[in-house]
Amino acid sequence: MNFELLAQLTIAGIVLGSFYALLGVSFGLVYQTSKIFHLANAIPFAAGGYGAVWSAEVLHLPLFVALAFGLLMAVVFGLLILFLGYFPVMRRNGALLSLFLVSLGITVAFPNLLQIVFGTENIPLRTYNSEGELSSAFDNRVFSSGFLTITLIDVLKIIVSWVLIIAVVVFVKRTRSGRSITALRTNPTMATAVGIDRKRVYILVFALGSFLAGVAGLFVTAEFVASPVMALQWTIVGFIAVFFGGIGSLVGTAFGGLVLGLLSSLSSLYLPVNYSPIVVFASLFIILLIRPQGLFGKASV
Amino acid sequence: MAQAVLFGIGAFTAARLVLPKADASSAVAASGINYGLGWHWLPATVVAIGVTFVAALIISLPAIRLIKGEYLILLTLAFQLGGEQILSVWEGFTGGPFGVAGIPPLKIGDTSFSTLRESGTILYAGLMLVITIIVILISWGLGESPFGRLLKTIRGNETLLPSLGKNPIRPELLTFGITAAIAGGIGAFFAYSQGAMVPGNFSLDLSILVISVVVLGGTGNIAGTIVGAIILGGLEPILRQVLGDEGIPWQRVIYGAALVLMMIIRPAGLIPEGALTRIRKPKVAKSFDQNLNGAQGIQFGDFTNKRSSSPEENLSEVLVIEDIKKSFGGLSAVGGASFSLRKGQITALIGPNGAGKTTIFNMITGTLSCDSGSIKLRGRELTGMPTYEIERLGIARSFQDVRLNESMTVLDNVAVAVPNQPGEKIFNLILHPLKSRKAEKSVNQIALDCLAVLGVAQTAHELVRNLSYGDQKLVAIARLLATDCDVLLLDEPTSGVDPGSVNLVIEGVSKLRDLGKTVCLVEHSVHFVERLADHAIFLDQGVVIAEGTVAELVSSAELTELYFGN
Repeated sequence: MNFELLAQLTIAGIVLGSFYALLGVSFGLVYQTSKIFHLANAIPFAAGGYGAVWSAEVLHLPLFVALAFGLLMAVVFGLLILFLGYFPVMRRNGALLSLFLVSLGITVAFPNLLQIVFGTENIPLRTYNSEGELSSAFDNRVFSSGFLTITLIDVLKIIVSWVLIIAVVVFVKRTRSGRSITALRTNPTMATAVGIDRKRVYILVFALGSFLAGVAGLFVTAEFVASPVMALQWTIVGFIAVFFGGIGSLVGTAFGGLVLGLLSSLSSLYLPVNYSPIVVFASLFIILLIRPQGLFGKASV
Repeated sequence: MAQAVLFGIGAFTAARLVLPKADASSAVAASGINYGLGWHWLPATVVAIGVTFVAALIISLPAIRLIKGEYLILLTLAFQLGGEQILSVWEGFTGGPFGVAGIPPLKIGDTSFSTLRESGTILYAGLMLVITIIVILISWGLGESPFGRLLKTIRGNETLLPSLGKNPIRPELLTFGITAAIAGGIGAFFAYSQGAMVPGNFSLDLSILVISVVVLGGTGNIAGTIVGAIILGGLEPILRQVLGDEGIPWQRVIYGAALVLMMIIRPAGLIPEGALTRIRKPKVAKSFDQNLNGAQGIQFGDFTNKRSSSPEENLSEVLVIEDIKKSFGGLSAVGGASFSLRKGQITALIGPNGAGKTTIFNMITGTLSCDSGSIKLRGRELTGMPTYEIERLGIARSFQDVRLNESMTVLDNVAVAVPNQPGEKIFNLILHPLKSRKAEKSVNQIALDCLAVLGVAQTAHELVRNLSYGDQKLVAIARLLATDCDVLLLDEPTSGVDPGSVNLVIEGVSKLRDLGKTVCLVEHSVHFVERLADHAIFLDQGVVIAEGTVAELVSSAELTELYFGN
């Protein structure tokens, strides 16, 4: 066993796992509360990335303002989906399957709209520097210590992901609005009977979930590029983290994401790198076979 | 969601089989990846279909334990994406990201269906049309068969089938396998016609296109799907004409938007299920004597619920329940109830809301497990058995809601309950089509007879959604009768029924007794219980407080107070 490789892969796994955890919590928050299989969570993800890229290049916004603009766009698009897509179907008492199909339709249409508006090319995140030229917004520095290396974005991914996850978990557990989310999730009839406004709670979770998806979109844009098809595969990793870790528990989802990231990274000790997505799907398959409630889920599905 | 990857599995399997052997031609061998086994296309297609069928069964393994909508979506979605990855990295099978080329075109005799020549393209289009028609005919045939009736019932209500003594898992898996096999077969023809393909041909986009077609046209009927396919399929060449290459993203935007708008404006699709069902003239049962005498009953012929007779067959107490308990969390719902049902009598369970009446039904039929206690049917222990086995031993139940499939005819809703139908096995449909058809006639006759007992035979060919709620309740009772079970549990047969129809329900239930059935019912209407029940059991907080004739219970001041309050 090559110790250096193992250590490096573990770090890569933690980076990947923290990102999966962030995506998982983003989807899990929406899914747990509304039971909507929100495939369209890919839209705030892409909106975040494109929002930042566009505002930096066209509005000449400095880096941090552009990032904030991206997040704003993520939340706006997340809520647009809720108001224009899901609420009208709910008003007609549409089944969960109808809501999923709405989600599917949006997920098909949106990347193609992006392609029509912004073109097929990949756009890196660039800002105007002091000389008024477009240049790479971000110096992704590499830190090395002996045989271990980690990039600045990787460090940020770990820190930002876990800070946000903890913030969301604390918000849901400790605040009044947060507890109304739990109430609606565990007993919707009772929750509405005691005066919790279902619509308000949905708006809250969609805003939060879209914000987290937007953060994830910004990471991918800053590290690589914004592209029309950037979001879907990451969004699906989020679903897998939820079902792998256990539905009904945000903490379970977060740890599920972390374990998945480690599995996916460490599998390259034995398998070619391009097999790691297969490892992710295979792990989900096996977990669902032997422990349908998920790795950290409570019994009874 | 995984249709595209299954399509791809069929396509690549067929391609590998028909590609020439590595040593057959030096030019092909030089390219390294485009070799195969050099089979004839016909066995290759058959193998491709078989491989896809097996692949579909493997991915549905976790679904056996979780027959829940969102899990199925996730599973198939995960399989689609995982499958895409596998296709693109498995170079020995698919040639990796660059795919395979040089697949020989289809040949029947001396006619080549090569799409490189115009004549071949036209021939090929004709062939696809023939195949499409065959697939439509097969799907239509299955949909109209007793097997299709099972599937429609499952779609209407997933939980219903076990209570009719039928295990839903097998037909579900088979259907998934069959549709996958069709996708695999079409995949094989796709490979022959294209000559070359890459794993990217089988991406999620294709699966989504298939879903859009079904949803746009209308789920649950083939006509709708055909319409959807023509509209969305026709869109592509038109957009390509108008917009050139830029038409492709627009096409996807239109699919997506159509899907969203459809769900908001017309969720049932352009042609909703049942819209094309012909309403035949009601044909009132001929061979059936409306003034039924108790001894004769309905002639089930070969379709009886074949129960092994037990030594205690002649006991007057058919079902004996002893000290059953059930608690949810710390809350005790049933705290040690004991009672028995007497043969050929109507027993009523009464008591205030939350007394545990419906919970007891759920425990008898195995929907809920007992924490402790025993339930014996003619001396045979039932606890721990799955619902559909308990039904096969002779206990059927109705639900507070009717649980009929509104898009099916009344007759179909009842016929699905008839036990031991040969036509429910695909095997029989293929190998013994005549026997299945003959059996289907008898099954329909039985269903019609059951409807006649309840006095609703004239509605047999109507869609359930056109019936009044009272009639729907009667149909649900007729369905119970069609199970040929001798112990029938009725959960609030009159709830939600208008006062005018209550008498019809009362008459219907008393006919069940005339037919020798042992009936147990949960009912809130004291008036109803008084007129019908031979015996009543008063439950409160999950225990039996009193039992006796209805008159005795009603006269007890203490119970009246418990039930009605002060």
